[in-house]
Amino acid sequence: MASGATCIRLEKNVSRIAAAYGMTVEMTVMPRHIHLAATREGEEITTYVATVRNQVIDYTVNTRLSRLSWAIADGKTDFREAEKQLKAIVAPRKGNPLMELLLVALANASFCRLFGGDGMAMAIVGLATLAGYYLKQIMLRRKIDCRLVFLACSFVSTVIAASDTLFGIGSTPDIAIGSSVLYLVPGIPFLNSFSDFLYRRYLSAFVRFSDALVLTCCLSTGLCAGMLLMHIGMF
Amino acid sequence: MAIFVNILQDALFSAIAAIGFAAISRPPRKAFLYCALIAAAGHSLRYTLMLGCIGVHIIPATLIAAFLIGVLAVAVSPISRIPAETYLFPSLLPMIPGIYAYKTFAGLALCIFSDSQQEFLRNFYILGYNGFTCCSILLSMVVGAVVPIFLFKKISFQATR
Repeated sequence: MASGATCIRLEKNVSRIAAAYGMTVEMTVMPRHIHLAATREGEEITTYVATVRNQVIDYTVNTRLSRLSWAIADGKTDFREAEKQLKAIVAPRKGNPLMELLLVALANASFCRLFGGDGMAMAIVGLATLAGYYLKQIMLRRKIDCRLVFLACSFVSTVIAASDTLFGIGSTPDIAIGSSVLYLVPGIPFLNSFSDFLYRRYLSAFVRFSDALVLTCCLSTGLCAGMLLMHIGMF
Repeated sequence: MAIFVNILQDALFSAIAAIGFAAISRPPRKAFLYCALIAAAGHSLRYTLMLGCIGVHIIPATLIAAFLIGVLAVAVSPISRIPAETYLFPSLLPMIPGIYAYKTFAGLALCIFSDSQQEFLRNFYILGYNGFTCCSILLSMVVGAVVPIFLFKKISFQATR
């Protein structure tokens, strides 16, 4: 759940594993917890409540868990082996922060280009993203509240991107500011929220949507504050 | 000829954007290549549809392109044994209406600080026009991309088998 799986995937994977052991599972996905009720025919029901972890979105975890569920369903993995693999998969792992940083900066710069920004705007957006994303990495490592992180990062990126307007070096300064904060947009929560909505898991859809909305508001506040500070006329 | 160069350029930059944003969601390494290809296909399709000679409006163009992205993501997932969702977001991202969103916020701020009715109405138009366009684009993006996963449930959820 925390690594960015949709409800439909979650339910399918869990019932697949349960079916492999001849059980049926009922699942309730609550905002911060998941209730699991497992039963075998003619036996008592066992209930388990798990807390949803707070962690970053990680599609590698997602992919490997899905593969593991099929391995269990197809009888390729026994219970002990599966448990061991599960532990290994969900163990926190370090990505490659430097690589991530460079890729994101490059991506946001080419993003700016897609919106019609010129070369100067691209360079400034790249720089703004580099600074903002680096700050995000540092702040997240210190376990600072992620709303505050979004606010601070969008503020920093906006202020740096505003230099395009300030010194009048490029011909498309508003595009530079507009795209400088886009690396912060919580796109996966929005997409997952909509996927849950289509699957009629309205509660979880609403929760994800609210989370994403709060982050977007923080990001916009940071953007506005940055623009006010730099006295940027809007148009 | 210039049109082709423009389309290729568009595809190239959306591919770079997709790779970078894919890195945020930490996908398996294999996924990067597919993300780039799908994003390039999707965004350049939208660009082509919106060219003067074809002239599709940005919203239906986005819907069509997002649907293509969704279908490609589902089609690629069994080959790579990676869930289709992994590809969706990074590939969709280049289509996010960032400038519309930015102008919406600018319009909001201008509305609040305007002195006369005439000025307010002009700024309210900026707010409304950009806001509606932004929301419609976002909605058509999400609908277009997520629907294929539900249409081809069997493929989407057996991909990692």
